[in-house]
Amino acid sequence: MIKLFHVHKNFGVNVALSDIVLNIRKGEFVFITGPSGAGKTTLLRLIFGSEKPASGQLLINGINLNRINRKNLDLLRRKIGFVFQDFKLLSRKSVFANVALALEVSGESKAYIRKKTRQALKLVGLVEREKAFPLQLSGGEQQRVAIARAIVKDPILLIADEPTGNLDPELTKDIMILFKSIHMKGTTVIVATHSRELLENTAQRRIILNRGKIVEEQ
Amino acid sequence: MKIRLWPYFLNQAFANIMNNRLVHFITLGTTAASLIILGLFLLIFFNLNIWLEGWGKSLTLSVYLDDAIENEKRESVRSYIAGLPNASVDRFISKDGALEELRKLLGPHSQFLKGLDSNPLPASFEVSFHNDLPEQLDPEHIKKNIEALEGVDEVQYSEEWAGKLDHLLRMLRFLGFFIGGLLCMGVLFIVTNAIKLTIYSRREEIAILKLVGATDWFVKIPFIIEGTIQSILSALLALLVLFGGYLIISAEKFQVLGLIALDFSFLPSSYSVALFLLSVILGAVGSLVAVGRFFEA
Repeated sequence: MIKLFHVHKNFGVNVALSDIVLNIRKGEFVFITGPSGAGKTTLLRLIFGSEKPASGQLLINGINLNRINRKNLDLLRRKIGFVFQDFKLLSRKSVFANVALALEVSGESKAYIRKKTRQALKLVGLVEREKAFPLQLSGGEQQRVAIARAIVKDPILLIADEPTGNLDPELTKDIMILFKSIHMKGTTVIVATHSRELLENTAQRRIILNRGKIVEEQ
Repeated sequence: MKIRLWPYFLNQAFANIMNNRLVHFITLGTTAASLIILGLFLLIFFNLNIWLEGWGKSLTLSVYLDDAIENEKRESVRSYIAGLPNASVDRFISKDGALEELRKLLGPHSQFLKGLDSNPLPASFEVSFHNDLPEQLDPEHIKKNIEALEGVDEVQYSEEWAGKLDHLLRMLRFLGFFIGGLLCMGVLFIVTNAIKLTIYSRREEIAILKLVGATDWFVKIPFIIEGTIQSILSALLALLVLFGGYLIISAEKFQVLGLIALDFSFLPSSYSVALFLLSVILGAVGSLVAVGRFFEA
């Protein structure tokens, strides 16, 4: 599903990723881990199409991201859910509106948006709080809204960048359970983290990065 | 773009306006002011054109007489004029009559006339030609013939004024294009910056929209609608102010030299529609430029 061939990325003289060769199959659950500055976020941004590699090839579902045009990249992003450490919720919109946004951009009907948004909120356990605004929620609840927004469009791929970075160990476990349940439904999940709590007691594939290179795979 | 998205776009555009009320209020005022200035030029230009056309169709003369003219000679001048083809002497204005008319024309400002030692105004005949075929009349030739008569000081005819005004009209047209161009650029600049400000206030939302797969046009369209709504309101406000001003001014008849009464007309619908469309186009283009630059950056 995701194939990287000798991908290299640099920002000026700073090398972020070097000679990355990676293959992630459909339905896999992969952790990308390593110390701060190892290149985890850059790797996710390349997979999401927010950055382009300096050299090498990157394919998602057979689509070469080096050659994709802007409109097709937008359409591809509708099949990818992204969860950020800082949630990236719109404070002026309600929980429901934040989640529905991901479907509104596709021009879905109101009835469909309502049904799917409620389903997503139910899955993350926030259907009762759909009218609340993000700033009225706890950090864990806000992250669950962000996850609901990422999964509401039934993505083929869910990417999460340090999703529990701002959460305590108890909430981290809740979020992890949520990711696993999403994975069980067939979604490919990639989680970048350096959280030990998140990696504890997991048998999932781990890709360990250091200074822009894959140093170990488990 | 799917039709069902348009209510969303309209909602977003109105929400943007409401969330940035002050910016839009200032923009509305400045854009409307620019359009009012542009509309004023059109209004003056349009009315001058009408007046000139009216003058061009009929020839009128003012024949000024020497102060020392005797009654007998004055009558022979009158007879000569009356004998010209299609000509009629509409009225004779004596020196005293001319002063009285000037006094009436000046109204409360006529005080200074009291300080005059003698009446400086000449007596005159007002002459008009019934035949509305100005090309068959050579006003310059008629003027020279009348001025050659004994006791006639000077002859002025309407076309002389029309010629002078025609020159003025050409200058005004040039000035109008120049100032109009500058004002259009000003409106474009104002709208572009207003939309830039609203884009800036929503940059976080735009980034999130892009993350969830919104196309560029999905993000751009509400801003273009916003700029267009802004320009529609500005154009309506400008036309309303112009029409209000016209109603006040048109209650009075304009007099040129105290002799010719002129009607003042409002912009014909084609001019009003053109002004309206110009504003809408400038609003849409301004927003397009603003969002274009944002996406380039």
